[in-house]
Amino acid sequence: MARTARSVALPDPIALASSLHRLLPPMRANEAIFADNCAALGARAPALASRIASAVVPPQHVLTWTGDGMPLLSVNGVALQHPADPCGDGTRWARGAVERLTAHGARRAIVVGLGLGYHVEALAQRFAGAIEVAEPDPAVWRSALTARDLRALLARIEPGDGSGAGDVAAQPDGAPGAVRVLAHAPSLLRADGLHRALYERLIARSGSSGLRLRILVVSPIAGGSLPIARYATRALARLGHETRLLDLSAFHNSLNELALFDAKAARRAELESRLCGVLGAGVAATAEAFAPDVVLALAQAPLDVAALDALGRTGAIRALWFVEDFRRFTYWQQVAAHYDHVFTIQTDDCFAALRAVCDARLAYLPCAFDPDEHRPLALSSEDQRAYGSDVSFVGAGYRNRRLALRRFLDQDFRIWGSDWEGAAELERVLQRSSARISSEDAVRIFNATRVNLNLHSSTYHDGVDPQGDFVNPRTFELAGCGAFQLVDQRSLLPELFAAGSELTVARSAGEMRAQAQHFLERPDERAQIAGRARARALAEHTYEHRMQALVAAIVASDQDRLLARSRPPTFADLAAREIGPLRELLERHPARAPFALDTVVRGITERAGDVSEEEAIFLFLHQFQELYLGEART
Amino acid sequence: MSARRILIVNLTRLGDLLQTSPTVAGLRALHPDAEITLLAEKNFAEVCEAIPGVDRVHRIDLDHLGHLLLAGGSRVGEAFHFVRNTVAELRAGRFDLALNFSSSRMSAVLLGLLDIPDVRGWSMTSDGFRAIQTPWARLFATLCLNRRVAGFNLVDCYRGVAGCLSTATPGLSFTVSDAARARVATRLDAAGIAAGARVIALQLGASRAVRRWPIESFARLAHELAGDGKRIVLVGGGGERALAAELLQACGSCATPLVDLCGQTSIQELGALLERCALLVTGDTGPMHMAAATRTPIVGLFFGPALPFDTGPYGTDHVVLHAGVSCAPCDHAVHCLDPFCRRTITAELVASVVRARLAADWSSLAEIGTALAARAPVRLYRTGFDARGLFDCPVLGTVLARPEDELRRAYRATWLTLLEGVPLPGARSTGLVDVAPFAALAELARLGTELTARLDRLVIDAARSLDAVQRVGREIEVLDRAIGEHGRVHPDVAVLTQMFAFEKETMPGEDLAGLTKESARLYRDLCRSADCMQALLGGSGAVGEVDHASIRQ
Repeated sequence: MARTARSVALPDPIALASSLHRLLPPMRANEAIFADNCAALGARAPALASRIASAVVPPQHVLTWTGDGMPLLSVNGVALQHPADPCGDGTRWARGAVERLTAHGARRAIVVGLGLGYHVEALAQRFAGAIEVAEPDPAVWRSALTARDLRALLARIEPGDGSGAGDVAAQPDGAPGAVRVLAHAPSLLRADGLHRALYERLIARSGSSGLRLRILVVSPIAGGSLPIARYATRALARLGHETRLLDLSAFHNSLNELALFDAKAARRAELESRLCGVLGAGVAATAEAFAPDVVLALAQAPLDVAALDALGRTGAIRALWFVEDFRRFTYWQQVAAHYDHVFTIQTDDCFAALRAVCDARLAYLPCAFDPDEHRPLALSSEDQRAYGSDVSFVGAGYRNRRLALRRFLDQDFRIWGSDWEGAAELERVLQRSSARISSEDAVRIFNATRVNLNLHSSTYHDGVDPQGDFVNPRTFELAGCGAFQLVDQRSLLPELFAAGSELTVARSAGEMRAQAQHFLERPDERAQIAGRARARALAEHTYEHRMQALVAAIVASDQDRLLARSRPPTFADLAAREIGPLRELLERHPARAPFALDTVVRGITERAGDVSEEEAIFLFLHQFQELYLGEART
Repeated sequence: MSARRILIVNLTRLGDLLQTSPTVAGLRALHPDAEITLLAEKNFAEVCEAIPGVDRVHRIDLDHLGHLLLAGGSRVGEAFHFVRNTVAELRAGRFDLALNFSSSRMSAVLLGLLDIPDVRGWSMTSDGFRAIQTPWARLFATLCLNRRVAGFNLVDCYRGVAGCLSTATPGLSFTVSDAARARVATRLDAAGIAAGARVIALQLGASRAVRRWPIESFARLAHELAGDGKRIVLVGGGGERALAAELLQACGSCATPLVDLCGQTSIQELGALLERCALLVTGDTGPMHMAAATRTPIVGLFFGPALPFDTGPYGTDHVVLHAGVSCAPCDHAVHCLDPFCRRTITAELVASVVRARLAADWSSLAEIGTALAARAPVRLYRTGFDARGLFDCPVLGTVLARPEDELRRAYRATWLTLLEGVPLPGARSTGLVDVAPFAALAELARLGTELTARLDRLVIDAARSLDAVQRVGREIEVLDRAIGEHGRVHPDVAVLTQMFAFEKETMPGEDLAGLTKESARLYRDLCRSADCMQALLGGSGAVGEVDHASIRQ
């Protein structure tokens, strides 16, 4: 689920109308355009034309115009073309697409995403091969056919909705059937994921991207993003990417040990900055050796400008998943410009702030949960006693929580987490002397608690933040555990969970207390709501979902760059080119593992018995490499 | 039995290929009707084609293979097929005898792939293990690990592997073409060097920096020799051009102008040039071996890992200066941070040696050697051949004997006795070497013969006496480990224990009875070799002088 930051600024209607009247020839009525287009479409794809004719364009599809009268379409806030120069943007896209098509000797292109057709027209002018357009949203077809005269384009392309996308089986470059799947990036960034799913399906079948990315995930030294780095790494690995986590929490003590120098605050900050500089240099050095396609930094990862520039020089795509409140943690102002992609858990205001300082591609990417870790547990009675209560809260002692949670002191109530020092009034319910709670213990607590309070943090409210937007990881983690929660209202919550049926939302601390009392007496209701929340979370809110969206967004905008990077072939790649005993030897190894001579030789030397000719040749190559290429390889 | 198609594998460089030439001559003498093929790296094919007796040169482009592997990706598949095609081409040669002079795992794998019935040198068994075939090849591998006491020149080891030690030794051979001679003559004329002029060539470079004599030393030498009126020519490959420029600058103006031909001669032209030279001053380099092949007198500068005994110029009346410092020879794999040994060979010393050699003044050279021994760790050696036609380089002058000299002499005699049946010479003990470790080794070997005798009695009915067989087998394992450790604790016997280890790993077959008999033989050989060494080293006495060894003229 990702939402682009590129929203269209609607022009002043009066100014627009007068300029249109002055500059443009009279436009034919939209109905006439649609009818003509449908007739042309019907001649090529009657079934599709029929579906489009009966399609209803929902209000989220918004048509506007440029100052020159060029139509613009946005869907759920995602603009499907450049807001000022859709033709120029389409031309730029088409030029890149033709380069890719030519480089691979493709005779056929499948374009996922129609938009209003600017990019497809530009492609049709430059590419002589067949062009199939796969637009799975009939409403987009209708909008496009209503807004623009596409008869010439429809005569040139093979229009479709992707369901019958042509034969995309992998073909050698230059073969008559060689096909490339091209993405219309804005379409892929639509929140509903319709186009992204189609694109990925086609990519997988065609093998035309062959993208198994090499991703370096960089964690912060400490803080809430740290476990997220680990979850993200696991998810990326499960998605089949070659992933490595640089867990910089190993340096947490080093940061703390700076206190040894007993420096004044400003100097201490400088020392911390220098330490982070060293860590950033270490990340850059790792990237030089690991040669990742993507470096994914989590919020607070110690990457300064120098480190980011060094990473950029390796050719890696730099992505930041900023899972913090952009208003509270403002360091992004110094570094955002040095990222290629910034993913955030907030939207409009956050996008606007980021856009003011950087040209990175921005996308909304909310938090998530890890089903392997955040899951229902059958607790022993001992654990139930140790971790359970009627009401509990797990988290840090921010101001609004210290004030709001007093309301629960008359309950069977426990508070778990760090940074509660000085909250004398809560001392009685504070567990483990304000020690940090591990993720594993948090899951036990969630499972053992009847009503989990989930109050988002604020340093300056007394309870609920009325302007609160982002949704914290705890929301998803509680849902994943199948644990009942009361969560404070957040503007971005409704599109993630249905209030009332999947989550119980409170607008104030008082309301949260009343809800707690209500649901403590209704265990069945709690179970049903929690069950629906878990189902929704499993279906849409795992880290695999997030990482899939993240990768898709990166691929959509940087596919050329990723494809241009050399990568070692897999065993399957090499095996596919061979026959006989050599192929059998290669197929002994995991298909998707990168081919390495060392791996082959290890397999040979670990096996008893006679050495085959193929194995002996690999031994020869390995020894040649050791003898003659040792220094050259490093 | 006479071979019909012989393959010699030597994937090394100029010098090593030239050092193969006596073996080729010996093979030709033993197998007059055989076709002899030399497998060499493409860049050195020109050398092989000029070695008399070589019928075919099979080139392998290792540069191309390297590029494929470095490119990685799908090009590794191309590399695989490159090797497969090379193997197929070599198999098509239907060789019946192969000699592997490239002592590397890579070449061993290659020989294992070629299905040649008689392989000598490094090879690979069917189940992927190293096998060093023939005793001389195992001895060569052993001496490479114990160079301080290596008693044979590499060339003679090659000849031993080929089984042609009994054939006459022509020395190194390289056929220089008339066209190359003409080109060189023109070049030297243009430089004002007339035919008949006494030209001294200086080979500036070496394969590794640690083997390179300092340029400032070469510069002082050039200055001195030019002052004598000699014409100096700088030789070497393209990689030495920078060194030549450095030398010319350091030299300044000389009495006679220096001629820089670095990187300007082909291999043929290098040979032609060296033919015109009265003498070559060089480190242990390929051009040194070329000079040996063209019978150009050599003054060799040996230090660092270079040793005159195993890689000295294979010919007669060459002079080698060797910096015999306590850490010599250093291992090829180490990176020395202070190669002080190079500085022990001064330009003034080399100049005096060059002058004496040019005059064939062996008395002066002996005096220089004697004087050197008193004040420096440098020794002078005169190359030649012993009565059996094997390379020898006795020291020039009167010097104090050293334990390694004794060991080298003793080992040489021992192996000639064991491998070639030469009668063991009489003892010439100086008491410099402790013989107790050899005695202890002999005892261990006798224990081995006892164990194998016991095993031999048991294997007749192995099925019934399986436990006993296994017990004796374990004892033999323990004994072999003890033998190996004995060699590590007492390096003087390491040659014997290492040779024993190589022999053991190459025992053929899996039949227990056969292996038992073979093991017994190996223990007997070990015992005999230890006894030989004791006999040659045994006795006591004051430290004495070492005479010139007899030199076959």
